Amino acid sequence: MEIEKLQDRTNVEKLTTVLYPVLFGIFIAVLWQTQILHKILGTDTFTLPLPGRIISIIGDNHATILKNVGATLIVALGGLTAGSLFGYLLGIISTAFPKWGAGGLTVVSAFNAVPIIAIAPILNNLTKDFSKDANTRSMLAKMLVVMITCTVAMSINAYRGLTELKPFSLDLMQSFAASKLEIFFKLRVPNSVPYIFTALRVSVPACVISALVSEYFAEYIIGVGRQIRENIVLAQYATAWAYIFVACAIGIIMYLILLTLEGILLKGRR
Amino acid sequence: MAAATSITKEYQKFTPMENETDTEIKIEDLWVKFPDKNGGEPVTALQNINMDIKQGEFVSLVGPSGCGKTTLLRTIADLQPPSTGNISVRGKTPREIRLQKKYGIVFQNPVLYEWRTVRRNVCMPMELMGLPKKYRTARVTEMLEMVGLYNFGKLYPHELSGGMQQRVGIARALAIKPEILLMDEPFSALDEFTKEKLHEDLQTIWSKTNKTILFVTHNIQEAVFLSDRVIVMSPHPGRISAIVDIDLPRPRTLATRDTTEFNALVSKVRNSFEGV
Repeated sequence: MEIEKLQDRTNVEKLTTVLYPVLFGIFIAVLWQTQILHKILGTDTFTLPLPGRIISIIGDNHATILKNVGATLIVALGGLTAGSLFGYLLGIISTAFPKWGAGGLTVVSAFNAVPIIAIAPILNNLTKDFSKDANTRSMLAKMLVVMITCTVAMSINAYRGLTELKPFSLDLMQSFAASKLEIFFKLRVPNSVPYIFTALRVSVPACVISALVSEYFAEYIIGVGRQIRENIVLAQYATAWAYIFVACAIGIIMYLILLTLEGILLKGRR
Repeated sequence: MAAATSITKEYQKFTPMENETDTEIKIEDLWVKFPDKNGGEPVTALQNINMDIKQGEFVSLVGPSGCGKTTLLRTIADLQPPSTGNISVRGKTPREIRLQKKYGIVFQNPVLYEWRTVRRNVCMPMELMGLPKKYRTARVTEMLEMVGLYNFGKLYPHELSGGMQQRVGIARALAIKPEILLMDEPFSALDEFTKEKLHEDLQTIWSKTNKTILFVTHNIQEAVFLSDRVIVMSPHPGRISAIVDIDLPRPRTLATRDTTEFNALVSKVRNSFEGV
């Protein structure tokens, strides 16, 4: 009986954590659609178009929007994958050479302080000879920006996951005369899995943001971020807002996919 | 001539030298010193340790914190190098024995890998030994039945109680059929009821498997209840201050704890500490 009561309570808690933000969202949407929001912010429906209009623009232009979403996703996911793999590799190297590994990671984390806006144009310049196709070479430049932002979080968390082992777990492996390679694959790598997700919780939202920003400075005009800029320049605020809406959706959906994967892969852990 | 040689060989095979059968672990004049972190004199953790442990014997190392009992166990297990002195296990060095995977160790906490189910935790050392899958599966079942956890094999460690987790640790240590079981305060984090149950379980497992067990504890009752011999250690520096033979009849039960003999031995051990 007691357990059932407790389960009921946790279920109610789960429901409210979803319900309250959704209700708040609906509340804002109502204020927005009824133009009360415009009065509060002192703006008009031209600069801040109504939600209904934004949604109808998305419907009308879905073919173009999808093309731009595709370009942004390639940049974001490509950079995320490359950055995370490279970051994990740095974590492995630091674990293998502990004397200067931890110090090296401090240097790597300094890259975190470099603003994306500063490096994006430099990378455009550096990659100009990569391909004759403007779309291809600017894809590479954008992916490099995303990669840099994702590498740091992964390298530091991977290093922690590979080295912060539970007490006696290394002794246990040694008592069974496990080799360094066996310790790596049977203890260090599985131990690092929750840390990988900690890194991804930072880098998944960051990869979308840096993909959007890198598009602003790219040579070739494509992507959700670039369309926001282009449409604002042309004073097509409603279309710009449609792309902002889509950009938010990309970020939220990717984060939800990550949380689902985490729930499946970390099952049984505490 | 040839026949005589082969007979001699056969004889040697079936009746090994007395010191090989009798003494499992021999420690002579062992010292362990740890360097001082502030650059001062090294700290002596173990001083002049001499002892013999017989094959199949259940020996406890008992003493207060800082007496070096865990250090001694770790030195025997080749997890801590000795400063001077000699340890031989079945006539070999601790390293050789460790590399041959002859040690089973149970630590202060169960050290179960939380990403593995109970079954796969017990299986882990056998994977390291490269044993065939069919054998591993059968052995895991056998071990879990022995510790009474067969029905819990598919659960993850956090779904078990502390006592059950420690039993999984014991099953894992025994799965590779070690010659020697080293246990470092395995029950110190458990409640009294679970502890008493596991004492009886361990006694049963020991009598079934006939392993040599070296058991580290700070609990005098526990040491007296389980052991054939209790080695009393004293701190600063860590040294052996007494060796008490426990000749209580086996199997020992809850009732054993209420006998005058039991309590006399507990007092004898308690009065053997020096400089605490």
